[in-house]
Amino acid sequence: MTRLQTLQGFYQNHVQPYYQKAHKNREENKPIAWVASTFPIEILQAMDITPIWPENYASVCAARQVSVQLAEVAERHGYSRDLCSYARTVIGSVLTEKTQDLPEGGMPKPNFLVASTAACDTHLKWFQILSHHLKRPLFLLDVPYNTTGADAENLEPQLIRQYVSQLEELAAFLEKQTNNPLDRNKLRKSITLSDRTSKLWLEIQDCRKNIPAPMGARDAFSAIFFMLSTPAAQDAVDFYEKLLDEVKGRARNGVGKIENERYRLIWDNLPMWFNLKFFNYLNNLGAIVVAETFSHVWTGSLDSSKPFESLARKYLPNFANCSIERRIDLILNLTKDFRANLIILPTNWGCRMMSIGEIIVKEAVYKKTEVPSLILDVDSSDSRNYDEYQVKTKLETYLKTLD
Amino acid sequence: MRILQSFRNILSERHDIARSWKNQNKPVIGWNSTYTPEEIIHAMDALPVRILGSTKPTMLADAYLPRNACSFARSTFDLALRSSYAYLDGFVTSNSCDNFNKTYDLWRHCTKIPYFHFINTPHTNTQKAHDFFHQEITRFKESLEETFKTTITNKKIQHSIQLCNENRDLLKKIYDLRKRDTPLINGTETLEIVLSSMLTSKSEHNTLLKQLLKEIETRIDPPKPGVRLLITGSMMGTPDLLNIIESVGGIAVADDLCTGTRYFWTLVQTDKNPIKAISKRYLNKIPSPSRYNWEERVSHIKNMIKQFNVEAVINFLLKFCDTHMFDAPLLTEELKNQGIHVLNVEWEHTRSGIAPIKNRIEAFIETIKGVP
Repeated sequence: MTRLQTLQGFYQNHVQPYYQKAHKNREENKPIAWVASTFPIEILQAMDITPIWPENYASVCAARQVSVQLAEVAERHGYSRDLCSYARTVIGSVLTEKTQDLPEGGMPKPNFLVASTAACDTHLKWFQILSHHLKRPLFLLDVPYNTTGADAENLEPQLIRQYVSQLEELAAFLEKQTNNPLDRNKLRKSITLSDRTSKLWLEIQDCRKNIPAPMGARDAFSAIFFMLSTPAAQDAVDFYEKLLDEVKGRARNGVGKIENERYRLIWDNLPMWFNLKFFNYLNNLGAIVVAETFSHVWTGSLDSSKPFESLARKYLPNFANCSIERRIDLILNLTKDFRANLIILPTNWGCRMMSIGEIIVKEAVYKKTEVPSLILDVDSSDSRNYDEYQVKTKLETYLKTLD
Repeated sequence: MRILQSFRNILSERHDIARSWKNQNKPVIGWNSTYTPEEIIHAMDALPVRILGSTKPTMLADAYLPRNACSFARSTFDLALRSSYAYLDGFVTSNSCDNFNKTYDLWRHCTKIPYFHFINTPHTNTQKAHDFFHQEITRFKESLEETFKTTITNKKIQHSIQLCNENRDLLKKIYDLRKRDTPLINGTETLEIVLSSMLTSKSEHNTLLKQLLKEIETRIDPPKPGVRLLITGSMMGTPDLLNIIESVGGIAVADDLCTGTRYFWTLVQTDKNPIKAISKRYLNKIPSPSRYNWEERVSHIKNMIKQFNVEAVINFLLKFCDTHMFDAPLLTEELKNQGIHVLNVEWEHTRSGIAPIKNRIEAFIETIKGVP
């Protein structure tokens, strides 16, 4: 049950150097932006702006077991314990006085922040608060809600127009902030790289359809770092090519992540970052996560001849920005394609967007596939909202009913 | 005063009012976010009704919603499951917050309401946002026309703008009664009046308001004076909390609530194009915390504090109402810097744990009063 070869020492080899390089860029006065997920990061990368992703930093803090103490700092400043634990962790890291204790020395201070409304209310409010405390400007991409839950090809045209017209404003904002024009050739290159990264990642995911599955969630939740933090970079492409080789090879040779694969699971949304060992525990029960919705919602084809339009088509259909039908379809397709026999729907305590509607997903998927779903009350990075005994009892009892 | 009872009656008889409207073969459309233009619904001779929760237990909704969902959204959904809203011909929501957007999915899946519409309200009020929102309101109008086989003419819209604006003007006059040193009306009564304006026809409500304004100057049972408070926070669909405040030595003289000033304070400006005038008004109104222009919210509150001679602020935060909870610390700091005390209270719509809340409010009011 060891990790994939390519993933050995992933944090030390890739995440840590990323933060070190960012700190160095800060010292050299190169522009740094704090970015919320569902933001078209490709444009920043085309302008050599270093994107720092507070959500990733929150997960790092959780894995390093410091998120609770940081969340408590935010709570002492009046932020409710019921708010998103990512947000509390990061606000705490900005307000804490003990910066020397922060993982990776904290996030390097940004020149500006960018966020979109595509994922949740939290992004808007959280980045507003960060912008206030850091005294740095925030650019907000006001993304219309994808009411029909349409996919990239079937989006309503007025949504695309509204999105694209704001990317023009974004370009102007970034040009002003960095004193650098957006070079359209570099943008096309960035789009091409991100497209390649996304395709490689999907190919890796495809290999997990194999029985036995060659890769599990523990590895996927690490490896997705490039997809999210820096998709339009050669590093990302190189890494995923290597990973694809390994995963493909394992699939071809019938080498599974675990021996005696008994249960194939779909994992919706976020893991408990403070307890990634949970996936090893699942493996010991003969269960393997074959697909995470998280590994699929960030993908999307990009067309370098239409950079802005294709970014609109990539980000508007993110299921967080859609009516529930989109999430149902995604989980339904994953269930069929990956031949899963159980779906885990984790409720994230501080997340309305993710938690509300799980029951409709559960019912709709069961009706069409007879594959059951199990709702687990957890939290992405606040271990105080996680009762291990309860979760494990519930899960083990449930697995027995599948035999 | 007997006239005040009329407003209270509208609240308690709201479902009957809606049903009697329907009996005249006129549609009833439910809405839940203050970014929904009632004017357009009015203009097709339909009754727009605000979807309000109740304080009763929510057993049916609990089967569908996780524990960490907003208890107001939960309560309204529970009523829908109990068929309390079975009379609705349509339900309209407006991109407002995660709790509403995601429970809207549940409404669509679990109720038999024949018509649903989602207005894609932007979070900003830039020119681009205005242009987009103008189209959205036009789409909403066209969708109503198509569904209800009717034509909503500009003339009809102009007329309903006039009615709604008159209602807003009259409500402001009611608010003025609390600017006085000895308010002629209290917060509980005012909230009942504003809530009732969302549940009956505007013309009928205007008539009642005019009558009230005529009679109130000679009121023989004015409210007890007390510590002058501004109430802000999440959705407040019943006057229970204000009742508590006003039973322990406080008086709510102003508010920043979506069932108060955020609902009616801003008027529609006249414009040759009435839809444009409406879309402008809604995007520029006193913002909810879910919008980007949070400074406008703060300045509205500060403005109210000045105009109504407010001594302290109570911020009622519904559990799991993210946008209000996120705003609370900075809002508190802003107001404290102005020498205004703020009490932040988390509460559940079903009123569980109301006793300790009462104690805190009482203690807070005592502190403001100071030791005699």
